[in-house]
Amino acid sequence: MNPTALFRVAGAAAVVILLLIPLASSELGGLGPLVLSGYVMHLAITAFFYAILASSWSLLAGYAGQFSFGHMAFMAIGGYTSGLIGKFIRFTTAPSELCTDIPLFGSWWLVVLNIRRVGTIDESCLDMAKTETLPAGTLIVFPPVWASIAMGLVMGATFGLLVGWLVLRLRSTYLALFTIGFSEILRASISAEIPITEGQSGLELVPLFPAGLLGFSSTSKIPPYYAMLLLFLVAMAMMTWLAGSRFGLFIRAIREDEEAAAALGVNIVRYKVLVFVITSTLAAAAGALQGHYIGIITPNTLIILQMSLVIAMAVIGGLENIYTASVGAIVITFMLELLRTNITIGPLHIDMTLWRLVFFGLLLMLTLRFQRNGLLYPILERISRGGVAAETVSIRAAPDEDEVDVEDEEHPPSGPDENADAEAVNDHAESDR
Amino acid sequence: MENAAIFGWALLWIICWGALGGVVTPRIYARKDLEISQASFGGAVIGAALGPFSLLPLWVATPKITNRLIGIAIAIVVGIFIAAFALADPDNLCVANGGFVISQLANGIVIGIIYGLMALGLTLIFSILGVVSFAHGEFYMIGGMVTYFISAKWLPGVSPLVAILASCIVTFAIGYLFERIFLRPMGSGEIERPTEYAILVTFGLAFFLQYFTQALTSAVPVKAQRFFPFPRAELPADSGALLKMTPGNVTIFDAVSIPNPRFTAAVLALLMLAALLWFLYRTWVGKALRAVSQDRQAAAVTGINPDSMNSLAFSMGAMLAGLSGASLVQVFSWLPQVGIPAAARSFVIIVLGGMGSLPGAFLGGLIVGLVEAAGTGCIPDATRAAAYIPAYGMVILTLVLLLKPTGLFGREL
Repeated sequence: MNPTALFRVAGAAAVVILLLIPLASSELGGLGPLVLSGYVMHLAITAFFYAILASSWSLLAGYAGQFSFGHMAFMAIGGYTSGLIGKFIRFTTAPSELCTDIPLFGSWWLVVLNIRRVGTIDESCLDMAKTETLPAGTLIVFPPVWASIAMGLVMGATFGLLVGWLVLRLRSTYLALFTIGFSEILRASISAEIPITEGQSGLELVPLFPAGLLGFSSTSKIPPYYAMLLLFLVAMAMMTWLAGSRFGLFIRAIREDEEAAAALGVNIVRYKVLVFVITSTLAAAAGALQGHYIGIITPNTLIILQMSLVIAMAVIGGLENIYTASVGAIVITFMLELLRTNITIGPLHIDMTLWRLVFFGLLLMLTLRFQRNGLLYPILERISRGGVAAETVSIRAAPDEDEVDVEDEEHPPSGPDENADAEAVNDHAESDR
Repeated sequence: MENAAIFGWALLWIICWGALGGVVTPRIYARKDLEISQASFGGAVIGAALGPFSLLPLWVATPKITNRLIGIAIAIVVGIFIAAFALADPDNLCVANGGFVISQLANGIVIGIIYGLMALGLTLIFSILGVVSFAHGEFYMIGGMVTYFISAKWLPGVSPLVAILASCIVTFAIGYLFERIFLRPMGSGEIERPTEYAILVTFGLAFFLQYFTQALTSAVPVKAQRFFPFPRAELPADSGALLKMTPGNVTIFDAVSIPNPRFTAAVLALLMLAALLWFLYRTWVGKALRAVSQDRQAAAVTGINPDSMNSLAFSMGAMLAGLSGASLVQVFSWLPQVGIPAAARSFVIIVLGGMGSLPGAFLGGLIVGLVEAAGTGCIPDATRAAAYIPAYGMVILTLVLLLKPTGLFGREL
């Protein structure tokens, strides 16, 4: 079987297994001896969340060569936008007159609630309106979850566009410098604006699905599992398509040599901004979905640790391939949980909650230094070589010198729309030579 | 704020005319076939200064936009900004109390010197290695931690200078080891795309050092004692009108009050700065360092080993960060996370000063120190003002990236 077909089959098998995993959860009685507790299901959802972040970050950093340390900031923008819409916006069939009313079509009104002061028991203006101004029988409707998530995406894209437009005209170092500050300032303002965002105590979000949907209880992990898996698969499909298209070719050209790409007619600023906006939007989508699943979002999701973890996942898995990055994220999410138990050796008490992070930091540095393409790369490379030595592949691939012209005419270079994961792997092989 | 509207309108006026000037001026200069490298930035500040009254003459006469012109325009903008603020909020301490203003300015300069020292380390690394060290804040944190643990825990009673020296040695050594193991291969072509590698590997180092320190020391905030308490003194005797010293504070002219820890930290920083300048400009190794920053190949031809200069620059940069941490551990309470905002501030400073420029870093440090002092002192809501300290730097960074990405003294990028 040739490597491309092998990767396709493996990918399809992985998707099928991921789709079937909930059958083994304890809610459905387990699958024979295999019973996954709610905790494992929760970990799986979190793993998909990190996989979306790590793979979209790898599209930005590994493919386009733009290093943003603000990926978690866009994640938080998605989550907070969705949460704030749920907190402050209602739809009614009559004007409340006490809140800010915006007329919509027909008899519907969009009502923006007032910002309540901290430490006082101000009533919400809508609660007051219910007893005072609103006629009886007025409908009050919460904004639908999908709409607020969509708004989260829009906000993520908008901020991505603004930051990208400001910084991506300059060298890539500036992006790293700016985004680290952007993420810190966002954390500071979310913590400070307590009346709006609830600060450190966290903004509550409505659940992803109404209780009783298809007979699942409100704490059931199965609907959120499928929601996050769906987002993960959609994101991967989209990024696979992007990476294999002209777009993917252009951003890799930018990564390799900006001047050369510009000289060949690639509008480098436009493509850099575009890839930044796309990855920011994906991060915002993941953040909004995860926020609704967990039910609360706090500014602590923005600490540099979280960003470092996403980077460690992408790098240890393999930065220059969205698939290895996402596998790295899934593996490391589970490993972080496994390494959680503290160890006591005689008088020595080791707090593993911290030492595991030290371990991953060290692993991150060593991976970068000695296995640039990630720890999964040697395995993939071995498969794509079909078990023969690297030298053999390069000898086979190198055409005889006088045959070059003929070869090129007979076999035009294959189009970029070929299977992208195989192509990405070939890329590594090429860059290694 | 009483008349917030005045301030808001003034700000809007500045921004709108600034944007118009920044967009239109380069086109006019380009049409007249004049130099446009300064036109965008110059047009923006001149527009922000006097709006149509300065933009129209500029567009008609199209003089050469000199640094002096830009300097005057910036002074006018700052003046308008302050005047609008004073009109909007006449009861503010920043407007009503001259002594408070001078104290804030003095404190801003004092803290700015230390910021400058830290940024100097970062810009030194950048000018020699072409690498922005994202672990700079962690060296700062480790410098403070080592000083605290030696002076307060392990060897109490020992002179603080010993502790500071030890922190310098530790940060220098970590920097040296890291450079040898992780950054040295960049020069030999062993690693593809060295800039990206450097960003990630220094970020990895930051992650590692931060949690390594936290695992060793726990996350309880610590704070060192005053290193060198002032002697009690009053000048002239009894009244203390000229100079009044208590162990924790010094008051000059009955108005400017500087706390002792900040004062000693700034003096330490100035001494270190003098030593650094002497080293860079008067010794053979220092001259070699500057030579490498100007032209690597040419320096190598004259017999300077660029690789060892790399190691020296990185470890010295780390040491400067460690030193500013060591002198500030008596000012702020110290946590393993304390390096992140400090690093972000250093990034702002080196971009403001121009990447790789030593005087730029120092001047940038002063400006950021002053802006932070003004921000914390003048914003009416005190808790909010404190929460937004990192934001002031970001505002500066955004403006610099928008208007003049090369910074004050930047080389062309």
